[in-house]
Amino acid sequence: MDGKEILSLDMRGVSKQFPGTLAVDSVDFQVRPGEVHALLGENGAGKSTLMKMIAGSFSDYTGDIYIMGEKVELNSPAAAKAKGVGMVYQELSLAMPLTIAENVLAGRIPTKGKIFADKKAMKDQTIECLKRVGLGHLDPFACIKEISQQEAQLVEIAKTLGNNPSILVMDEPTSSLSREEVKLLFGIIDNLKKQGLAIIYISHHLPELFEVADRITIMRDGKKIGTYNIDEVTTKSLVEMMVGRPVDDTAVEVQNKVFGEEKLRVEHLTRHGFFHDISFNVRANEVLGIGGLSGAGRSELARGIVGADAINSGKIYIKGKETKIRSMSEALANGIAYLTENRKTQGLALRISIGENILSPLLKKHTKNGIYSAKRGESDVLAVMKELQVYPPDPTVTVGNLSGGNQQKVLLGKWVATKPQVLILDEPTRGVDVGAKMVIHDTIRRLAGEGNAVIVISSDLPELVALSDRVKIMKEGKFIGELIKGDLSEESVLLAANGEGDKLSGNIYAS
Amino acid sequence: METSMQANKEKIDVRKREVGKISSIINKLGVYVLVIALMILGTIISPKFLTASNFMNIIQAVSLLGMVAAGVSFITYSGNFVDMSIPCIMAFSGMIAVDTLRYGIVVSIVCGLLTGSAIGLINGIVVGKLKANPIIWTLSVAFVGNGFMRWFYSGKQIYPDVKGGAAADVFINLSRTDVFGRIPLIVIVMITFMVLGQFVMTKTKFGKQVKLIGSSYEVAKMTGINVNKVVCGAFILSALATSIAGIFLTSLAKTGAFYNGEGYDFNAVTAIVIGGMTLNGGRGDVVGVLGGVLVIGLLSNVMTLIGINTFSQSIVKGIIFIAVVGINARSLRKLGRDDA
Amino acid sequence: MLDRLESLEGMMHNMDKKKLLNKLDYYRIYIIFAIVFILMSLFAPNFLNVFNIVNILKGMSLNAMVAVGFTVVMICGQLDLSIGSNLTLGAMVVIALQPILGWWPSLAVAMIAGSFVGAVNGFLVAKAKIHSFIVTLGTMTIVQGLIFLLSKGSALSVNDFTLADWLEMPKFGFLPPRVIITVSIVLMFFVLIKFTKFGKGFYLVGGNKETAWLAGLNTDLYLILAFILSGLTAALGGALLAMSISSAVPTLGTSSQMVVIAAVIIGGTSMAGGTGDIFRSMIAVIMLVTLFNGLMCCGAGYEVQIFASGLVLAAVVLGESYALYQQDKVKGQRPNLMAELKKGALQ
Repeated sequence: MDGKEILSLDMRGVSKQFPGTLAVDSVDFQVRPGEVHALLGENGAGKSTLMKMIAGSFSDYTGDIYIMGEKVELNSPAAAKAKGVGMVYQELSLAMPLTIAENVLAGRIPTKGKIFADKKAMKDQTIECLKRVGLGHLDPFACIKEISQQEAQLVEIAKTLGNNPSILVMDEPTSSLSREEVKLLFGIIDNLKKQGLAIIYISHHLPELFEVADRITIMRDGKKIGTYNIDEVTTKSLVEMMVGRPVDDTAVEVQNKVFGEEKLRVEHLTRHGFFHDISFNVRANEVLGIGGLSGAGRSELARGIVGADAINSGKIYIKGKETKIRSMSEALANGIAYLTENRKTQGLALRISIGENILSPLLKKHTKNGIYSAKRGESDVLAVMKELQVYPPDPTVTVGNLSGGNQQKVLLGKWVATKPQVLILDEPTRGVDVGAKMVIHDTIRRLAGEGNAVIVISSDLPELVALSDRVKIMKEGKFIGELIKGDLSEESVLLAANGEGDKLSGNIYAS
Repeated sequence: METSMQANKEKIDVRKREVGKISSIINKLGVYVLVIALMILGTIISPKFLTASNFMNIIQAVSLLGMVAAGVSFITYSGNFVDMSIPCIMAFSGMIAVDTLRYGIVVSIVCGLLTGSAIGLINGIVVGKLKANPIIWTLSVAFVGNGFMRWFYSGKQIYPDVKGGAAADVFINLSRTDVFGRIPLIVIVMITFMVLGQFVMTKTKFGKQVKLIGSSYEVAKMTGINVNKVVCGAFILSALATSIAGIFLTSLAKTGAFYNGEGYDFNAVTAIVIGGMTLNGGRGDVVGVLGGVLVIGLLSNVMTLIGINTFSQSIVKGIIFIAVVGINARSLRKLGRDDA
Repeated sequence: MLDRLESLEGMMHNMDKKKLLNKLDYYRIYIIFAIVFILMSLFAPNFLNVFNIVNILKGMSLNAMVAVGFTVVMICGQLDLSIGSNLTLGAMVVIALQPILGWWPSLAVAMIAGSFVGAVNGFLVAKAKIHSFIVTLGTMTIVQGLIFLLSKGSALSVNDFTLADWLEMPKFGFLPPRVIITVSIVLMFFVLIKFTKFGKGFYLVGGNKETAWLAGLNTDLYLILAFILSGLTAALGGALLAMSISSAVPTLGTSSQMVVIAAVIIGGTSMAGGTGDIFRSMIAVIMLVTLFNGLMCCGAGYEVQIFASGLVLAAVVLGESYALYQQDKVKGQRPNLMAELKKGALQ
């Protein structure tokens, strides 16, 4: 490295102590102007803490931080912002009832005479910011709740860019974007690079990193493992550095799987405006994948099947018998379980214990003569926790205190404990580290192997390809095709999901 | 590498459990520490304090509040704060009971309870199904109910002995009956409610469902719990307990009036929250709420023994209320849960 | 291509509908007010004359002032149940101190007293992180106790009516100074909160506290200021009323509190925070007073007035919740699928 080069960001020996743990342990981290520097690590490796440090969320870190060669104290978000740090958070940090303009210009509203907000200047500045993310057509005075979630995600990025940062931190910016929007975002990133911005990019999505990053820094247990140019590493080497041991990637291909009886069949299922005319079936021992871009209506379909939302027409057959499912509890009674996409808001009650969460769908089962007893379910809980290797292995621990990966294991355990015949999994490993992902995949395979049917909805293409025996492709609320095992690859699913299935010469079958 | 990772993780967990133990003991005992402290204080101050009759007085004084608090705690437990229409339910059920006394005591009481439960049902539907803000909605109901009573009865009180004939005596004596010779009926009813409440909250499916809803509404919904029905149930249960207290109150006052029950809403919140429940729901139990009710009773008894007038008493009560909640909030935050 | 255009059209249609609903929600208080006013003009005898209109404006003065601070607290997503006792505090202090200090110094003391209670509320909410419902419930009890303790539960009055006469005597044709003062102060705060950079901070804090903090705002300070403002305007409103009648009673605030809370909610300020404004709260107060007054003109008693205003409040809350419930149901509906559905239905 050229010693005279001025670095955009230079962190030397920074540490951050939380009570009882050293979250970041004397890390050196350098980012050059005009590069995209990816930061990689399992959940809990310390990368979020490092990023929060840059964004000024902590006032008590140790070590030195230099920005453009100047030593700085990043003790508050305002201080970080003043030094040119912009942060795009993973979860939306927009005020829903306020207008786009008020959000984009939060904290720096232009004024007339230093007091009154200048409406015209607000409009102009907002439109300028929105244009940078391709949303110039939006009305700056529309409320955030009036626009779509994808648009809101881009508004969030526009808001950060509006502060003209010299260092831009992006934490999983693509998690709720469709493929087109990701392309748009990468275009924006490319543009910013050319303007000399330093971009720090955090993502679990490895293929994405190879597309966008110039260098990669890997962290584990609060320490930096190393920094590499993107062409020096492979997916496999990255995973090994993240988990700290060699990975056995010769996954056992189960050949010639024999499928059993039909577990679930859906005919012409329709919920007006959400999904139309959906038909499919899934058999015992089978894993059916549902692919497509985010926002294609896959979660809505799952909600419709389990009765969380009322459907307008169509029939559902369970083991060949027509069944009306009007609520989640009826779905459960019929052996259908649905693991929701959003673990924190819909999946787990974070304030109660692991045991209580796992037993929550089984309240009825463990009630006898009007008396509920958690003791009756204790062995189930322990068995599930053991299989999924939940850490710590103590059912009385509050779920909110667990790491993301362990939370996701508990969530899966909650539904596995109901012993479902049909298990619908919506993004079963979103935001989960590699270790937890393997455990979850093993459990899914075991369930399917024991004569149950599993439906996997996932935007993680390698996951979808690895787990599924068959993949239905959904686009804008409709099934547009099906890929079977032999034809499954990340490329084929992606092309099909983008409505370009015809390029797959004969590999896609009309459903 | 593996081992260092494990060791690191274990370090965190050990600490969390230690804090958890201490804080949860404080949380559990919290309100009873206050109860014991007040009892010691009372014993020191006055020899009259530690007598059976004084104790019976204290419990009798808070028994109506206890009934209300036992019921309303289910609403708080479900994460719906509190029912601000408590005074309205108490007054309304009391007035209807008085108004129907001429058909006999049984009809009167049944009508009173039905009135209260109907208001609970409406609250339950609007809050449970339409997800209206519970404070705002129940305030509106209190407003409407209060206005309706005033309008319907032209702002007047009604008297059981005028309306009721023979049943009037039974009605008036409801709150004055002693069971087993010396224990007032209202105390028995209150204790029964507490025991039943604790049982339902901690030992039944319904209680667990309310807890899950209080912990996270969306999660409960996606776990197959009929949240509308359960929240509705909590409101009806609460309204039922409240209207029983309302009927006793009317009997005690020998008057049905729109202003009966004033102040019971805030006192019930005070008891529930001092008792260790949080407004966010899913935390605490009825035993704690009983502690909260006892604190309120002991506090005014002790202060009266000291010779503090009612106005100063309310100041002290307010300060203790905020202080206790503040301490609870702090200890919960130390546990790393921002649900104070 | 055609498909694309149609889906775009559908999306526009959907957007327009959403916007229209939002607009309707924004202007609902003006619509309700117009309906009440027209109905009363048509049916209530002796309603539509200058004398009665001035009466309405006098009647709204107290509550409009109290609603200022309460609205700001609600914009921040908090609740202040101590406004009733703060209002009484302002009134009692100003009357109690007048013989010793004279009017203006005692008014200053009253305002300081109200602000102090507000500051305590704000501090406990922002720094000790206790739910505002609980904090203000506690301070409400404490302040109420203090008032009764100091006044021994009796009404206070002074014999000097010169200021009272001046405040109530119509100036500029028909408006008494009390109304002019109230409206000016309300409008001043309306502009301050709604149109200045500083004021917009309250909306941001209420809309999303985390966002506000990240944007570099001192969120705790904003919360404390909101509660101080609430204490201040409540005490000021109470004091002005006391000054205009030269007396105060310790139960002054009880009925006022309900009316203010009802008005602010009917005026479109939601407890979720981030929405609402002071002007619409004032219009809502005027609407409620008009309703009271009109019913009185019809010969209806106080009971009917309470009942009617309760019904308006309940209807608004119910309507709002129902609209949100319906919106939730169709949230995320795909315009192109809906268009397809329509086409199918037409065939």
